[in-house]
Amino acid sequence: MSLVVDGLRKRFGQVVALDGISFSVEPGRIFGLLGANGAGKTTCMRIVLDILRPDGGSVTWQRKPNIALPRDTWGYLPEERGLYLRMKVIDVLRFFAALYGVPDAQATREVEDWLERFRVPEYRDRKVEELSKGNQQKIQFIAAILHDPDVLIMDEPFSGLDPVNVQLLKEAFLEMRDRGKTLIFSTHQMETVEQLCESIAIIDRGQVVVSGLVRDVKRAMGRQVVRLATDGDDNGSAWVETMDGVSITARREDFIELHVAAGTDPEEILRAALQRGERVTRFEIADPSLEEVFIQHVGRPAAAEEERHLAAAGRAGAEEPAA
Amino acid sequence: MTDLFPNAWHVARREYLQRVRTRTFVVITAVLAVIGLGLASIPLIGQVLGDEGAPTIGVYAADAGLSADPAQSLEQALNAIGSAGGGDGSAFEVRSVEDAGAAAADVRDGELDGLLTIGRAPDGELTFDYLSEEGPTSSALLAVRSAATQVAIGDRLARAGLDPSQAGALFAPVAFDLTPLDPNAQDPEENFGPRYVVALAMTILTFMAVLTYGQWVATSVAEEKSSRVMELLITAASPRQLLAGKVLGTGAAGLTQYAVVVAAALIGLLAQGLIGERLLGSAPADPALQGVDPLVLLTFGFFFAGGFLLYALLYAALGSTASRLEDVQQVVGPMVVVGMIGYFASIAGLNAPDADWVRLLSMVPFFTPYLMPARLLLGSVEPWEVLLAAGLTAVALALALWVAARIYSAGVLLYGQRLSLRNVLRAVRVDR
Repeated sequence: MSLVVDGLRKRFGQVVALDGISFSVEPGRIFGLLGANGAGKTTCMRIVLDILRPDGGSVTWQRKPNIALPRDTWGYLPEERGLYLRMKVIDVLRFFAALYGVPDAQATREVEDWLERFRVPEYRDRKVEELSKGNQQKIQFIAAILHDPDVLIMDEPFSGLDPVNVQLLKEAFLEMRDRGKTLIFSTHQMETVEQLCESIAIIDRGQVVVSGLVRDVKRAMGRQVVRLATDGDDNGSAWVETMDGVSITARREDFIELHVAAGTDPEEILRAALQRGERVTRFEIADPSLEEVFIQHVGRPAAAEEERHLAAAGRAGAEEPAA
Repeated sequence: MTDLFPNAWHVARREYLQRVRTRTFVVITAVLAVIGLGLASIPLIGQVLGDEGAPTIGVYAADAGLSADPAQSLEQALNAIGSAGGGDGSAFEVRSVEDAGAAAADVRDGELDGLLTIGRAPDGELTFDYLSEEGPTSSALLAVRSAATQVAIGDRLARAGLDPSQAGALFAPVAFDLTPLDPNAQDPEENFGPRYVVALAMTILTFMAVLTYGQWVATSVAEEKSSRVMELLITAASPRQLLAGKVLGTGAAGLTQYAVVVAAALIGLLAQGLIGERLLGSAPADPALQGVDPLVLLTFGFFFAGGFLLYALLYAALGSTASRLEDVQQVVGPMVVVGMIGYFASIAGLNAPDADWVRLLSMVPFFTPYLMPARLLLGSVEPWEVLLAAGLTAVALALALWVAARIYSAGVLLYGQRLSLRNVLRAVRVDR
């Protein structure tokens, strides 16, 4: 009974936006769609929402094709924020609720409830243009959920938010999940994904490079991370690199971070340290971070890509085809 | 296919309320209303100004030896001629002068419009000399001459021994009636002027509505696209609902503006009667809507609304292909051209309402709102022609909604690239 995206293909002229994208999302879960800009996340979301038709492939939710589903199945927060700037917050929200058939009184109640939750009840009768970008984003999130959709699809919901608002939005996500909603969002921010998502798909150049439960995706890397700290070795623990399949990836103030290849038991490192007579003050075995998973599969970090992209977009004026 | 309503209604309502609340709308509507009031008052203003210029004529008759004051009989005669000729009713004013030389100077200064000097020839006949800057063919001169003749004839009759009261009876108007050959036939010239003016006004109203409110629709769509609210809209409602709501809401706002302006103009027309009476002592002639059948107005209303919706839908579709507001003017170009063709065809058609090309073009939905009023008011049109034109307009509307929805659903999500005709046609094929 899940959302199944199967073999989506879409091209815009010469540009292949989606090249056979498949993944599935279990109901009542939070799902992360990861990828650099231009990877195909937005196109994929628009096809799921049926505001864009694919050249091939299909989308089903609870075994029904998306084109046969009522519009109020979905709630959508587009990447490009946009509201009617000259309207009052309450009027804008009631307007969108009305399009989904929500009665005015109910919409008003819900709006007031959510404004309270986002700690901005005083914005009810303000014009949208008087609000900061971050607050407009909260209003837009409310617009996406007023009609109580089963599936919430959000394109970069955290971009441009300050840490306080990021936290408020995360809490809202969890609340929606607890109400039994299915949430899908795209992001470059791996930390957020680590905190919220149970499963993910990483998309690169219109293809899914890896998908599944976050835990499985990390394990499938076939390597682990060890954080080690010892007393009595001024040499910076250089000796560990003499071991097979072990490399130092980072030297921190009071510990070092090691990559341990598949086939090497991390405990070998602990044993070797003890044999050398060192006093081990920290020994920690961890899965690789999603950042590392991303780099492994895509070949470059997501965030750096984002920054480069933003810089380029700033020069060109943000005017490329949204893909 | 989704139902148009109630979502089209929600969209229309928002569009209407947002539109009529803007300061631009209020200011422009107020300015147009003032202009409408002003235009409607032109006949009255003309009359007031014309009244100040009513001819004043001096009469010097000291040497004529007339029994009665000639000024009085001249004035009576002049004003009788004026009203019998169906003239503008402006009264002549005649007064006696004592000093011929001073009066002549007054004429040169423009104080008097003319000086009539009456004398008597040795054979007893009256002589008239008229000093004025009037040309020899001016209607005022002809009236003065005619009045002078009446005074002369009265004088001859008096000299022949006729009692002045009997002489007055001689000049009483005769009973003269016209019996038309066909009692129901209308004089083709009668009311042609007012009907021509009404047809012209309808054409101009249509043209302004299509161009102005069409532009509103296109700009409004482009605004939603550039402010990115479009992506939310298109998720919440279908392109057909959004389009229908957009043109209905904007159309209602446009109609509101028209209603205010027309109301102002009507108030101007109605108030004229009252003001005219106060100011001039006589009500001006009813200046408009003479000879216009209410059914014609109703038919015009239908074609006007249909034509507006047809143009507005396509304006909206083209507006959706603009990425920036600056591009709107450019992308709606084709519709502006079609509208102009209709306008000029209509202006030409006013003078040849029964020509074959007018009959043919009036069946084309894009041109029906322009040409049908002219045909209805000035030419002859069969009922089946009106019904056919109405049917074709309805079909064209359904077709336009279908085509526009497809262009729109393709256009609204494409940014930064001009839509080529090929892209649009490809988009039209994708069903949604």
